[in-house]
Amino acid sequence: MEKQNIIECERKGLEKLINFRLPQYFYTIGMLIAGITIAMMFVRAFALEGNTQWLKLILQKTLLIGMLLMSVARDKNEDEMIVKLRMQSYTYAFVVGVIYALVMPYVDYGVSNVLKPEGEAFHDLGDFQVLLFILMIQLLCFHVLKRMR
Amino acid sequence: MENTIKVERAILSLTQDDLAKKIGVSRQTINSIEANRYVPSTVLALKLSEVFQKPVNNFFKLSDDD
Repeated sequence: MEKQNIIECERKGLEKLINFRLPQYFYTIGMLIAGITIAMMFVRAFALEGNTQWLKLILQKTLLIGMLLMSVARDKNEDEMIVKLRMQSYTYAFVVGVIYALVMPYVDYGVSNVLKPEGEAFHDLGDFQVLLFILMIQLLCFHVLKRMR
Repeated sequence: MENTIKVERAILSLTQDDLAKKIGVSRQTINSIEANRYVPSTVLALKLSEVFQKPVNNFFKLSDDD
C-alpha cells in the first residue's frame, strides 16, 4: 500500500471513531429503558418481598445502559455545534464526577455521624453511584447548553 | 472573532432557517454564529463563503482579543 493510501486510511478510521454516534431513535429507546427501570426499582423497593438483591443489581445495570444510550444517540439536529456542546458536556460531567467521587464519601460520613451518635463507617462510593451521577450531569449539561446556544 | 453574516444574509434576503438549510446546520447554530457565541469550523465558513459568493475574510474578521 502506498504511503498516501495508508495516511488516507488512518484519517478515515480516525474520523469514523470521532464521529461515532448511535442513530437518533436510540435516545427514545434509552429513555424507555431508563423509565421502565426506574419504575421497576420502585416496585422492587415497595412491593416485592424477599431477597431481591439480584434484581437490584440487574436494574442498576439496565438504568446505566438506558442512560448511556441516551448519551450516545444523535441529536435531532446534529451539526458541528451540537457535537461541540456534547463534548463540552462530557468534560463538565467528568470533572464534576471526579469531584463528587472524592468529596461525597466524606459528606456521607459527616452527615451520618452528625445525625446519629454511632453513624456509618467511612466507605467509598460504588461504581453505580459514580457512573449514574456522571451520566446524569452529562445529560443535564448537554440539555442546558443546547437551550443556551 | 466578529462577523457580518447577518448583513450578508439580509443582502440575499435569506432567513436564518434558509441559510441553515443551505449549509446543513440548525437555525440555532446560525443564530449563535451571528451572535458571536460560536465560531464555526473552516468547512462551515467555506460553505458560507459559497452561499455568499465572497471570500471568508469578507464576513469574518479577527477581533482585538483574538
